[in-house]
Amino acid sequence: MTDAPLADETEAQKAEAAMGGATSFRTRRWRLLEAVLLLGLVTALYGGLSAYWLVIVAQVCLYTVATMGLDILFGRTGQLSLSHASFFGLGAYVAALASAHGISYGLQLAIVLLIAVLAGAIVAVPTLRLSGMRLALVTLLFGQVLQWFLITEVSITGGSEGMTVTPLSIAGFNTGEPHVAFVVSLALALVATVVTAQLSRTQAGRRMLAVRDSELAASACGIDLPRTKIQAFILAAIYAGFAGWLYAYVVGFVAPDTFSLFPSAYFLVAVILGGAGTVLGSWLGGAYIVLAPQLFAIAGQPNLFAILGGALLIVVALLMPGGLAGGISALQRRALSLQVRQPAGPNGR
Amino acid sequence: MDANVNTVNAGRLELRAVSVRYGALTALEEVSIDFPTGVICGLIGPNGAGKTTLLNAVSGFTQVSAGSIVVGDVDIARFDIRERVALGVVRGFQTPRLLEQETVRTNVAVGCEPLGHPSVVVQLANLPAQRRAEARDALYVDEALGLLDLQEVASRRVDQLPFATRRLVEVARVLVARPRIVLLDEPAAGLDADDRDALATVIRRVHDERAMTVVIVEHNVEFVRLLCQHVVALDYGRVISRGDADAVLADEAVRLAYFGVSHNVAS
Repeated sequence: MTDAPLADETEAQKAEAAMGGATSFRTRRWRLLEAVLLLGLVTALYGGLSAYWLVIVAQVCLYTVATMGLDILFGRTGQLSLSHASFFGLGAYVAALASAHGISYGLQLAIVLLIAVLAGAIVAVPTLRLSGMRLALVTLLFGQVLQWFLITEVSITGGSEGMTVTPLSIAGFNTGEPHVAFVVSLALALVATVVTAQLSRTQAGRRMLAVRDSELAASACGIDLPRTKIQAFILAAIYAGFAGWLYAYVVGFVAPDTFSLFPSAYFLVAVILGGAGTVLGSWLGGAYIVLAPQLFAIAGQPNLFAILGGALLIVVALLMPGGLAGGISALQRRALSLQVRQPAGPNGR
Repeated sequence: MDANVNTVNAGRLELRAVSVRYGALTALEEVSIDFPTGVICGLIGPNGAGKTTLLNAVSGFTQVSAGSIVVGDVDIARFDIRERVALGVVRGFQTPRLLEQETVRTNVAVGCEPLGHPSVVVQLANLPAQRRAEARDALYVDEALGLLDLQEVASRRVDQLPFATRRLVEVARVLVARPRIVLLDEPAAGLDADDRDALATVIRRVHDERAMTVVIVEHNVEFVRLLCQHVVALDYGRVISRGDADAVLADEAVRLAYFGVSHNVAS
């Protein structure tokens, strides 16, 4: 192409338009404003939060990464999984076991990647012919087998007592230090956010949406259904695996409870409540499942979380089909249409 | 850019003694049709005549029990759906099956699948190969949206659009990768007379701009007359008449099978 910059320009616009939904109407000024606000928020959090809350926010980042993984699998590809916390746990236990044996961090990351790809594929393959609740049951089985292994193999995993994890330490920076934990977790979450946003601009992402909405139409377009589902499972496992790996170092402790059926269900809640198919939704969902229990505990009512959490889920599901993110983008759209008079009325054809 | 379709006669579609049986039921009985290349061809017949079965057999959604389906110079009767799509054989559905919560543009872009894309890792890393593929897809999508007058609604969510527009979105998705053989299953179903005429105009316009063979299953005689140069009539899984649209629609056997009575539909 001779006019490369120009082509790039239109390409970016096309890709943006192709994303549709929440982002297509955003102007550059909005983007800039958001970036400035975000930077301000991060600085304020970094400077203003106590050590305890820095680690909590670090956990928000890591749960957000894992939620993005489940969003790819469930929110975008429509595959219901009840074992997402198991993928998270695999990563966490790699950190716990590998650091106990003095394996280098680089090699650990490679191991996490390898295990995530294998685990994702292992869960995906038998589920290719299943969908809905039957698929969920098979994924549940995977999660329960892992739980059983973690609890019974006491000599390897420490059993239900769990294991302590020595903080990650590179070049004098130590994740036992809350500010470091915060920055490293935020960095991983930003990478995940960029990659997930990019997925929305690719054919790989559109294949997943097509598989979710109509397998018949997807195959009529020439999309390889099994391949697309396996890719979604593997991506979900990679996101959760890396998040879990860092989680072990940030929290300094792993135990089977953190990766059982209930946390898996909470990840689903995060996807649905936050808003499926959007990165903003994963952030809101990740923040919710980490912060809500904390806030209820502060209010002196830790048990209310489960009850009110369920009620909130029902309310959001009824009032905001796109989750919290969908509600926000609807408000934003309304605000924009007040500013700029958009061509009104149905276009007919 | 048409990477997957190199065969000179790619638009040629011929069925040779194709039979489809479901247990004891014979849906198609040794059907042989040489569809005229590059022509809009209507496939008519009463309910249960085997029209949709024929469409399913050609597109790979139904396995044939016997016979061959030749596209270009290749017998595709044993190919899977993806291999047929890659050869430029693409179908639509009787009810539009769309990604309801996505935009028109995203819906049409899904149809770019047969154009070929780099691996998922390359796509996620947004490497140059991915950027080229995405830019190419955008060009194809723009062209399809332009052909079907959908540019104005490109960024709208599909579930906010009227039925007739949704129908066009599906046709755009079928056409976007420039297939050589297009199979449409009752595209006018559920449309009022105005929308039907508009759809016929659009399909004709696209057909005139591109070299492609179009096979349309259709109940509506007006629509067939408006659009199809060639008509094949099926009944009980067999071809009972074929030829010029007017001649077939006037055929006594067709009128008997199709309408049960022998009134003159050609007038």
